[in-house]
Amino acid sequence: MTTASPRRAAILGGNRIPFARQFGPYAKASNQDMFTAALEGLVARYGLAGERLGEVVGGAVIKHSRDFNLTREAVLGSSLAPETTAFDVQQACGTGLENAILVSNKIKLGQIESGIAGGVDTASDAPIMVTEKLRQKLLKINRAKSTVDMAKVALEIRPGDFGVETPANTEPRTGLSMGEHMAITAKKWGITREAQDELAALSHQNLAAAYDRGFFDDLMTSYLGLAKDQNLRPDSTVEKLAKLKPVFGKGEGATMTAGNSTPLTDGASAVLLGSEEWAAAHNIPVQAYFVDGEVAAVDYVHGDEGLLMAPAYAVPRLLARQGLSLQDFDYYEIHEAFASTVLSTMKAWEDEEFCTQRLGLEKPLGSIDRSKLNVNGSSLAAGHPFAATGGRIVASLAKMLHEKGPGSRGLISICAAGGQGVVAILEGA
Amino acid sequence: MSQQETFSQAPSLAKVFVRAAVAGKKSGTSLPASELVLTGHKVDRDHLMSYQRLCGFGVDDVLPHTYPHILGFPLQAELMARSSFPLPLAGLVHVENTITVRRLLTADDVLDVAIHAEGLRDHAKGRQVDLVTEVTVEGESVWSGRSTYLARGKGNPDAERGAEPPAVPQGIAAAQWSLPGDLGRQYAAISGDVNPIHMHPLTAKAMGFPKAIAHGMWTYARVLGALGRHVNGPSTSNVWFKKPVLLPSKVDFVVDRNQALVIAGLRSTRKPEVEHLALTLETAR
Repeated sequence: MTTASPRRAAILGGNRIPFARQFGPYAKASNQDMFTAALEGLVARYGLAGERLGEVVGGAVIKHSRDFNLTREAVLGSSLAPETTAFDVQQACGTGLENAILVSNKIKLGQIESGIAGGVDTASDAPIMVTEKLRQKLLKINRAKSTVDMAKVALEIRPGDFGVETPANTEPRTGLSMGEHMAITAKKWGITREAQDELAALSHQNLAAAYDRGFFDDLMTSYLGLAKDQNLRPDSTVEKLAKLKPVFGKGEGATMTAGNSTPLTDGASAVLLGSEEWAAAHNIPVQAYFVDGEVAAVDYVHGDEGLLMAPAYAVPRLLARQGLSLQDFDYYEIHEAFASTVLSTMKAWEDEEFCTQRLGLEKPLGSIDRSKLNVNGSSLAAGHPFAATGGRIVASLAKMLHEKGPGSRGLISICAAGGQGVVAILEGA
Repeated sequence: MSQQETFSQAPSLAKVFVRAAVAGKKSGTSLPASELVLTGHKVDRDHLMSYQRLCGFGVDDVLPHTYPHILGFPLQAELMARSSFPLPLAGLVHVENTITVRRLLTADDVLDVAIHAEGLRDHAKGRQVDLVTEVTVEGESVWSGRSTYLARGKGNPDAERGAEPPAVPQGIAAAQWSLPGDLGRQYAAISGDVNPIHMHPLTAKAMGFPKAIAHGMWTYARVLGALGRHVNGPSTSNVWFKKPVLLPSKVDFVVDRNQALVIAGLRSTRKPEVEHLALTLETAR
């Protein structure tokens, strides 16, 4: 079934700040600081100061409770007209791409003429929580009506109640970290250490080459003295990566290292979308169209499927809806949460049993041309500030498709905590 | 002809204040001709970030409208503490300030900051002087500031009056700010301005104030920060410091954008008739 949309949603450009490693140059920058900086760079590039946009949709995965209106606060701190509405979304690592789906849907429906989709995350400026026991007692003190009652509750506080907690990269229902989950999936699909290191080295080399030819010149604004992704190692090789010790999975056969897994990073990204009329009125060339998006979820809790395998399910549904095959694309952007995520997903699409039994297809989706995969590097090299990754990919892919020419196609696949996956198709203009 | 004295780093303000406190009585009718220059100043990003946070500016690479002032202030104090300077540093009250930003400055700009004194003149309540700060980047004039200080004393009722401040906008506050008791110490830690009137109620009492008072330059910066990020681009601001802000306190931020210039002010929340500051802003926007 092909759904004819009322009008097209155009991707007009993007901006991000370089991604920094945890506790690096952005250690003291808040989510609001970074998202405002990403927005402000976009505003400057496209002359949007004082402009009332239809909507700004942002969000962060790790957020302080005081940042309930994070995106709106960032808009108010930017040069956009204060009358620009905004809201926050949180869908783990899928946040940024989901936001692009939301903004493009509103544009397609004629509800808005323009909008910004983005996201931000800090792994450095993390919220600190007190232990649950202490939190309950402090709330009780807060409810106490008299000083005597307060003192009574205060006396209930035990030394053992103290301690601070920060958000962990752990699935609440399984107690396993994302890396541990991925190690199970990687083992199941027989993903080798060598294949992972090869993918990781290529990610660094591709990103370095993209910088060298100035690909990011109109996609990035330097921030706090950082002008390039801090995690990038242009001289990364398979040999160097092979020396690292595995950090996820146990014992013999453990394959996942700090080199072929994404590091914790800080950063923000924003993408400008609009109707074709709005783009023309503002003299901004259309780079690509946001064709369609799809989200899937898997039951990783009961061990039926790997935590990060949801995109493997979302993509065939999206292809079916658009009447396309997996090979109908000029570029593939598969988010490198871990090298093994990309490799497991591609292996699943090539696997007869998976495609027929799990996806209910008649035959496998088949292979993709690896020379079209993550050609300007991906998260292993750039880093992955969770909610910022979607915006990074959409803006880069739109530019690549524009360079390729009208009618070129790109596929985006992003896995997310909670066993979800967000995928999308863009078309070059 | 002015003599230029070059500094590769700013003089320590604590030492300057101590020197001023033990200096003898000052007199004279002429100003030192010296121009003090801080050359090749590279912005310390940690310092910039602390300043941006405390004054309510966005945390990014852009230098706030008022930021270059705090780079020049140690030179101003150094000059004013000298025996050749006719007015006593300790008793000077910052009454007015003007800043012109000619272009947006960022943390990557390497700044040369030059200050000199001019315009020693009579005032109805004493004598006034202007400390002029000129900031250049590779010879291009990018930022100018003029700080007017008053030394209270025997005034001249016939003295020429400067520009009258605009009326502080009336009506409902655009925002209310609770200023903590240690605000003076927080700003002193960043600006280096450890004048005892800002530091603690006891040191302020010794100087004749009932409580510690907020730095005028903080209130100025905070008001500009609240007006939006365009203040950091080409613009000119004028501020008149009226009644001091006693700490801790709650103040109303008021703004009128319907005039040719943006007019903003601060007044006491509890006693709205007590006005702390009036400001005008003209942007190239």
